[in-house]
Amino acid sequence: MTTVSPTASDGIAARIESGVKIYGEGDAMVHALRGVSAAFERGRFSAIMGPSGSGKSTLLHCIAGLDTLTTGSVYIGDVELGSLSDRDLTLLRRRHVGFVFQSFNLIPTLNARENILLPLSIAGDKPDAAWYDQVIATVGLADRLKHRPSELSGGQQQRVAAARALVSRPEIVFADEPSGNLDSKSSGELLSFMRRAVKEFGQTIVMVTHDPITASYADRIVFLDDGQVVDEMLDPIADAVLDRMKSFGA
Amino acid sequence: MLKTTIKGIYAHKLRLVLTALSVMIGVAFIAGTYIFTDTIDRTFADLFENVYAGQDVIVQSETEYSSGYESPPPFDESIIQTVRAVPGVAAAEGSVEGFAVIYDKDGDAIVPMGPPTLGGSWVDDERFAGNAEMREGRGPETPGEVVIDAATAAGNDFHAGDQVTIQTAVGVDEYSLVGIVGFGETDNLAGATYAAFVMSEAQELFHLEGKLSVIAAIGDEGVTPDMLRDRVAAALPEGIEAVTGADQSAETTEQLSEALGFLRTALLIFALVAVFVASFIIQNTFRIIVRQRQRELALMRAVGATGSQVVMMVVFEAALVGLVASVIGIALGFLIAIGLTAVMGAIGIDMPSTAAPLASRTILVSLAVGVLVTVGAAVLPAIRASRIPPVAALQDTDIRLRMSPRKRVIAGLVSLLIGGTLIVLGLFARAQFGPLNELALVGLGALVVFVAVSMLSSTVVRPIASVLGLPLKKVDRVTGALAVDNSIRKPRRTATTASALMIGLALVAFFFVLGDSIKASTGAAIERGLRADYVVSVDNFAGGFSTELGDTLRATPEIGAVTALRYGYFGRDGADGFLMALDAETADETIFLDIQAGSLEALAAGGVFVHESVADEESWSVGDRIPMVFSATGLQQIEIVGIYGEQNVVQAPFLLGMDCYRENYLGGSSDTDFVLAIKAADGVSPDAARAAVEAAAADYPNVTVRDQAEYRESQEEQVNTMLVMFNALLLLAVIIALVGIANTLRLSIFERTREIGLLRAVGMTRWQVRRMVLWESIIVAVIGALLGIVVGLVFGAAVTAALSGEGITELSVPIAQIALLVVFGGIVGVIASVFPARKAARLNVLEAISYE
Repeated sequence: MTTVSPTASDGIAARIESGVKIYGEGDAMVHALRGVSAAFERGRFSAIMGPSGSGKSTLLHCIAGLDTLTTGSVYIGDVELGSLSDRDLTLLRRRHVGFVFQSFNLIPTLNARENILLPLSIAGDKPDAAWYDQVIATVGLADRLKHRPSELSGGQQQRVAAARALVSRPEIVFADEPSGNLDSKSSGELLSFMRRAVKEFGQTIVMVTHDPITASYADRIVFLDDGQVVDEMLDPIADAVLDRMKSFGA
Repeated sequence: MLKTTIKGIYAHKLRLVLTALSVMIGVAFIAGTYIFTDTIDRTFADLFENVYAGQDVIVQSETEYSSGYESPPPFDESIIQTVRAVPGVAAAEGSVEGFAVIYDKDGDAIVPMGPPTLGGSWVDDERFAGNAEMREGRGPETPGEVVIDAATAAGNDFHAGDQVTIQTAVGVDEYSLVGIVGFGETDNLAGATYAAFVMSEAQELFHLEGKLSVIAAIGDEGVTPDMLRDRVAAALPEGIEAVTGADQSAETTEQLSEALGFLRTALLIFALVAVFVASFIIQNTFRIIVRQRQRELALMRAVGATGSQVVMMVVFEAALVGLVASVIGIALGFLIAIGLTAVMGAIGIDMPSTAAPLASRTILVSLAVGVLVTVGAAVLPAIRASRIPPVAALQDTDIRLRMSPRKRVIAGLVSLLIGGTLIVLGLFARAQFGPLNELALVGLGALVVFVAVSMLSSTVVRPIASVLGLPLKKVDRVTGALAVDNSIRKPRRTATTASALMIGLALVAFFFVLGDSIKASTGAAIERGLRADYVVSVDNFAGGFSTELGDTLRATPEIGAVTALRYGYFGRDGADGFLMALDAETADETIFLDIQAGSLEALAAGGVFVHESVADEESWSVGDRIPMVFSATGLQQIEIVGIYGEQNVVQAPFLLGMDCYRENYLGGSSDTDFVLAIKAADGVSPDAARAAVEAAAADYPNVTVRDQAEYRESQEEQVNTMLVMFNALLLLAVIIALVGIANTLRLSIFERTREIGLLRAVGMTRWQVRRMVLWESIIVAVIGALLGIVVGLVFGAAVTAALSGEGITELSVPIAQIALLVVFGGIVGVIASVFPARKAARLNVLEAISYE
């Protein structure tokens, strides 16, 4: 089996260069990304923000290898995704990329533990027991592991999803509005957990959100508008983010 | 409302196509059966109408008993002078019928499966030819010349001028082929081989010297057939009758149609099994569709649709699907009919290539069955749809509308009890209720049992799938475990899907058990009942062979005893009775008849032996006289001179001595032997005895010499042939079940689109997704196979027990064949998974994840 190893040498976990994404043809043509270049450093919690239709979800999907660019290139570590077959791309996602979606993150027939271990099971790998215990302890679900998703609250489900994304120690974790369906308390618990994973365990997370409070948990925010990177902000606080977002409407 | 329904169908067209396919296959079989049997019917009607074309009046022996099996007995040839002397008769010609086996150029007998090997006399008069026409050469003019039918000639490359070997009642001889005859559009007479000689020679060859089988007469101008019939009848002596050619052809056709009715019923039963299986598929599909459209239906309720409007919507959708599927099914029926015709052709029955007629009855029955079954199967899902509360429009949760598991188990057990009772009543009490005879009772009971097992099986889906999952998880840990989870997620759905396969495989398992029990019982009985060292019997059980062979063997020093067996039909209480006849003088040496009363000496002197089962049923005992109506001699009161228990060498409930048989069956095709049971002389080695038998039989390629073991094998072979035929017909039901599994998988995958997207996102390869679907399909199919085997074994044991009085004394289960059924179930699962698995594997990850 040829396994693509994306370990980067320069501290960049993922980057996109001159990314263009066009949907449709003729009159129905939509430019979702108009030449985006961005890099996401290892060991940081990055957020991508922008108003509806700014192309932020498309950007995440393309960097994560779930969608392909029309032109331009995407790297996870040193590996250029455009050259990979579906199979190699799948193997790359399996071992080096973690995902947290807005909803429907879990397989309903599997319990919490099985869901967390799913990527490892699919790959036929044994979990690192110490790391697994640490993730479970941090996510605070030790007493919920035997429960099926339908027996968990929305917040618990998202934390299980986050634990699953981290359990294989991926090169990078992508989160698409992970707290979008949660109340503020559950949201806070989830985002705190994600932040700890970055600060304490050195994980890399890239998150898409439209909510300034959510974004304020990140180390760095990349602002997107109309398919282009328009700004960025380091160590953001919620009020500043809100002000920046307001300016898009103007 | 109508518009909404049609839009609904359009939106779900793919799911409905597969549903329609299952109905279509079943309806096609029904329509095909009708078209096929109608074609045969019309072919025979045309054939026999034209065989007698131009012949105004037919003169033959009057019989108190006649069936499709026996021709009227021959009469004195002087009658023809009487007929010719009747005023108004322009011409009259006699003919004889007998038995004649034509040999091919390799010296092998040409014996069709089923149809007879006919011999006849040639009438050299155009007016009496009917639809017979010379295809080549001329008719026979002197002894030693022969014409044969065009199908036999074409199939074996015979042409006028060839020498052809033919076996008749008097032996085997060579004849000069001078002509080849066809019959209108067809090349032979409903599959029979035909050889015709000049009259004097035919009478000799058929042992009918001085006799005629039939006389045909043509009237003068202005004399109608009815007038001619009355005039001829008045001149005929007692016992000889005159009928018009038209009446005669109608009667012949009717007899053939009756025989055909059996074939039609048998094929229709298999077609109905297929439709029954289809109804499971339909119900499952509609249940899933209703579930998937829950929010949509709830919204309709919310905006004001009543519950009954929702029911009507679903039912109307089913009716449309059923209608379209039935119409296509009828069209496909022509293909099925062509297939069945090809099978007939392979057997040797030539049919004209004219288009099969489409009777209005065929259309009506096919449409009614297709539409009613589809609507009937959709009613329960429709009622469920109407119970969806409007509030469901606002919720994403799965609202429980099913019967509670406990209620379903109770309903299942009650159904099982009802079905079981019907079967027991039919099998053991031989009960009848109104129009339902015992067979219909058993059939109905079996259907109820199938429904009951289907209801109960949802409770065993989880344990069976878990057990199947144990080895599976060893082979393929994650995808195997996910497949097991998926298969038990909706036990009811899995159970219904598996049940569809269960029905077909239960019947296959049933036939396996029954067939194996018949083989075991026959084998044991032959060991007990056959004392002869060798058995000579005619191939394909068509006609017989010349009595000369028996005479040669009796004169052979290596042979100790020869017992000839023949068979015949007679009238018994207005129905057909079947009897066999044997040489009572030697029977004790060759066959153990298990005589319980009376003696063989008495049988040799006349009288009849009755099998114990019939004697018990009728409360007959030795000394009673029973009425038997023979076609040659009419009603005879024959004394019972013995009661016997053997029934596998002598496969008939009545037994006559050979002299008594000859008295009541005169000449023609009954003057041939059917089986010879042969005992070697004392002190002769088996090799020498066999060589002597083989040498005597060498001239008769239509017979086979077998020792005891070989004879037993040949009997088993017959059962195997029957099994192959039944299982081939059941394949259709299995195919429908396969379509059902594929359809359910497809619908389930559709429901799990986001899940599959998620699995792919976190690293599942396409090949792993395919395997996951494959395993689930195999699990469902194997559950179906296991359920089928259990039901089939129970059915097989019950029927075997019920038939113990008919000689099926041993219950035998062919373990290897039954085990193969599980493997076969797995293969069905593999095939069913191909398209759904491909679809699942090809889902676009991003679209699947964001699928609503």
